[in-house]
Amino acid sequence: MTRVLIVDDEAAILRLVAAVLDRGGFTPVAVSSARAALAEADRAAPDAAVIDLGLPDMDGVELVAALRQRMTGPLIVLTAREATSDKIAALDLGADDYVTKPFEGDELLARLRAALRRAGRAIAADGVLRHGALAIDPARHDLRLGGERVTLTPREFAVMEALIAAGGRLVTHADLLRRVWGPAHVGDSDYLRVVVRALRLKLEADPSAPTLIRNEPGIGYRLGEV
Amino acid sequence: MRVSFAGYMIALIGVALVALVTHMALAHLGLASAALLFLLPVLAASVRFGTGPALVAAASGALAFNFLLLPPRFTFRIDGFDHVVSVAVFLAVALVTSRLAAELRAREAEANARAAANAEQAEFAALLSGDTPDVLTRALAWITARYGAARLIDRDAMPSEDPALSSLDLSAAGWALQGAEAAGHGSDTMPASDWSFLPFAPGHPGGSGMLAVARPMSGTTRRPEEMTQLQALARLIGQARDRLALADERQSRERLEDRDALRRTLLAAMAHDFRTPLTVLTGEVAALDGDLAAKDCALAQVHRLSAMMDDLVGAARIEGGALDPQIEAVDLVDCIDAACARLASALAAHQVERALPADLPLVAADPVLLTHILVNLIGNAARHARTRIAISATTDKGRISLHIDDDGPGIADDLHQRIFDRFARGAGSDRDGGTGLGLAIVKGFADAMALGVAAHRAPEGGARFTLFLPERQVVTA
Repeated sequence: MTRVLIVDDEAAILRLVAAVLDRGGFTPVAVSSARAALAEADRAAPDAAVIDLGLPDMDGVELVAALRQRMTGPLIVLTAREATSDKIAALDLGADDYVTKPFEGDELLARLRAALRRAGRAIAADGVLRHGALAIDPARHDLRLGGERVTLTPREFAVMEALIAAGGRLVTHADLLRRVWGPAHVGDSDYLRVVVRALRLKLEADPSAPTLIRNEPGIGYRLGEV
Repeated sequence: MRVSFAGYMIALIGVALVALVTHMALAHLGLASAALLFLLPVLAASVRFGTGPALVAAASGALAFNFLLLPPRFTFRIDGFDHVVSVAVFLAVALVTSRLAAELRAREAEANARAAANAEQAEFAALLSGDTPDVLTRALAWITARYGAARLIDRDAMPSEDPALSSLDLSAAGWALQGAEAAGHGSDTMPASDWSFLPFAPGHPGGSGMLAVARPMSGTTRRPEEMTQLQALARLIGQARDRLALADERQSRERLEDRDALRRTLLAAMAHDFRTPLTVLTGEVAALDGDLAAKDCALAQVHRLSAMMDDLVGAARIEGGALDPQIEAVDLVDCIDAACARLASALAAHQVERALPADLPLVAADPVLLTHILVNLIGNAARHARTRIAISATTDKGRISLHIDDDGPGIADDLHQRIFDRFARGAGSDRDGGTGLGLAIVKGFADAMALGVAAHRAPEGGARFTLFLPERQVVTA
């Protein structure tokens, strides 16, 4: 059984999420404070966790970082806040995905299942990373779409490598910029827009309706589900 | 200089005393020592009473010395050249000494006056050192008690209606402000005025105002030293006023910032407090068993409620000035894609055509606000379209026009202008599922980012909403 830790100080939400997870075939472990969550994670590391960012006893983003130290499974963040800054901070500190309230149970289950699938992905023996029809061989600077080799510039290749390595997980703009352009260019989102524009022209069937490289405005990029 | 009659008398008495002593003891003293003793009353008189009594002491001393001591004694005759020299030297020494002593005395008096003026300024400055406006009232009362009726005149509020000020007074006041130097009574400019006008910032034309002090009640003319002192006090008042104005400005700015922060916190709390029950409702309704149609209907209503909440929070953010757009390079493809993904269930029944040119430039906007705008515009199109929604874009000299067309009934001509007002709705459209705020939020967010937005008739009937965006010139690396 897959044990999923739920942290939320609202009893009604806690009960609802537990019921949703139970319906989805998971074993929910519900706690109502950050302290209890850390104690539970120390006692028996859960396979995944659903964390509300608005907790009374600790900043939710800090809890994400603390839980990331204790477990490798997916961390899904629940937030009622409009601002993107919390989501970005949580993602950069180790959260796998976020769901904004109000959400539907099926949406949460889909996100959780996708994250668990990614976490359970075996790394191919040949060092080639795959995502659907995409296959990338970082050692040989080789990206193939449906077996066809696609010629990419070094920046384009580095962005695709980061996205495929994340395997569909949301990667923040700042994270991509840091990895591909370096720490001095974390704020230069213009660079990223231009490279993604070029990648879509090379990889998407319809670059104006992308299915491969998806964007969460103000937050980051992820590869579309396959 | 006023010298009292007593000063002269005491000087003469001193000389008489010395004359008596020297007369009786001449045998023991000798002429030279006796002459020196006559200098004593001269010195004493000049130090104590000033030049006049000192001169009297010198003259009477010389006469007494000549009459009583110089041979032939008891006559004013002087025999022998050496005795003439004695008297002359005595007179010269007495004159010079009295002059020096008098100067010393004048300097001391001046220093005392200056010390008193400084002490007064220090006391006044202490009176003005406070952060509340009532220090000015107290300072005025202080000046009134010492110098006569006083008031402050503001540059922007010349007291032209004040019965206490004649037209001559007013023009003196105007002069003091223009020329940035004292005018009116006691000064060189319009001294016939009944008031002395002392600018807060002498030497700096365009100062903020001046101190006005009425002519002394005694009817005498204000002395130059008093004018100098009043000018110093006016300068202190000016500095205090500047300091108060600054403190006031800082305070009101802090109050504004506090209010903005409170507003933001309230909005965030409101959004949070609405979302929690909505989440529970959404989840519980979705988990209900039984009548599938009833469940879908309930779920649709919960979705509508949550859209209303989003719109209300959006409207409150616009009203409250809580929007803080982060303008960056945005790919319209990203925002349109995210908006369509968010509206997936509303768009499921429609055919959505996206026709964006491959070389569409990036635009300058806040990606989150722009996506919100598109969700509202595309959501609006989905509510009115029969079958088809078309999203297209054109570029013209750095300006990008993004069109969202639907094949619905279109917008009545009289509504084109009003459609972005709050709660403006097309006729018979109260069952369309909108909140009446969606397009107002579009306009509010667009204004915050300096984007244009317009509503027209679509080329193929239906409605067309157009968003005008500036191109973002990007540097690549």
